[in-house]
Amino acid sequence: MSESTLWALVLEFVRLGLISFGGTNIAELERVLVGEHHWITPGTLANGFALGQLMPGPNMLAVTYYGYATAGWPGALASTLGFYGPTALLSALAALAWRRFSTHPWLVAFRDALLPFGAGVLLAGVLVLGQSSIHSWVGAGIAAVAFVILWRTKVNSVIVVIGAAVLGALLGL
Amino acid sequence: MTSTASSRPEETARPPAPPTPATLLRLFVGVALSGIGGGLPAHARRAVTARGWMTDAQFAETYTLAQLTPGPNAVNLAAMIGARLCGPAGAATSVVGILIPGLIAMLAASAVTLGAGSGLPPAVQSGLRGAACAALAVMLSAAIPVVRVGLGVKGGLILAALTFLGLGVLRLNLLPVFAALVGLGLYLNRPQRVPPPEEDHV
Repeated sequence: MSESTLWALVLEFVRLGLISFGGTNIAELERVLVGEHHWITPGTLANGFALGQLMPGPNMLAVTYYGYATAGWPGALASTLGFYGPTALLSALAALAWRRFSTHPWLVAFRDALLPFGAGVLLAGVLVLGQSSIHSWVGAGIAAVAFVILWRTKVNSVIVVIGAAVLGALLGL
Repeated sequence: MTSTASSRPEETARPPAPPTPATLLRLFVGVALSGIGGGLPAHARRAVTARGWMTDAQFAETYTLAQLTPGPNAVNLAAMIGARLCGPAGAATSVVGILIPGLIAMLAASAVTLGAGSGLPPAVQSGLRGAACAALAVMLSAAIPVVRVGLGVKGGLILAALTFLGLGVLRLNLLPVFAALVGLGLYLNRPQRVPPPEEDHV
């Protein structure tokens, strides 16, 4: 993998980190990584997201997977640092500034404007991820049952994901 | 959320030892490990309030702020708690702490599944496909509370629906959609003039 690709990877993940609000921006990840650059396939996108659910810590460690799929170990390092570094720095600075300005009326208005946008971003991500991870009625059924379990019970999501993995392997999904 | 409020201990008995970057590193490694499969903010809250380093109100404020800054929420939250409790060094060690366990596990998983190329056993491939279906359900269930809050804002339903349409269905570039819809949201929620002293609107 050439050095220029690695830089492109870093810059793309810096951008992806800075434009994800209120959670995961899978829709934009898919548009850029799969559609624009052809760095990963839709299958890799879905696999990485699923593995991320099994990892300790933030589930967007899927970015590490996507970086590895694109350019091996250097790619994993580049995507991880690019995605988490600048946003973490910005957050720390915001935490230190917040106490001074938190009551400013325009900041309150900005928060209110961001909340529905964040909701729409998440729902768009569900749609895009659904298109790349569900290929059959059996898969749709597994997703629906998993959703009802997660929604109605307190079962840990790792157990649900592992259960679905076992079921998928047994059914030859 | 706080249904077990009756078990609240008296925290005034002993003053908490102040956090250091090293204790924050250990704390967030523990938060990451106990947060397999989500619920990281809940684990972080328990960890910092149990030690008397933050009150629930301080945590709630920090958590809201972490939702608003771009990037992954759980990492933002760690950076903010670290910065607030222990300055820049605390922010750095908190972020490293919350990332390290998963990073090691994910690198191992990447090397195994991607290093094998297309030669992955069929059972593993179909297992991953099953996991992906459940991961979609995890994402949807995590989106529900966020959507609920977003719809509670003035114009929230229309703004969220337009965002979904623009990014999910039409696959438009994010920045123009962001500029248009957050701009519209700012207009709808713009600060009102300070009301006159006589309170005629109750």
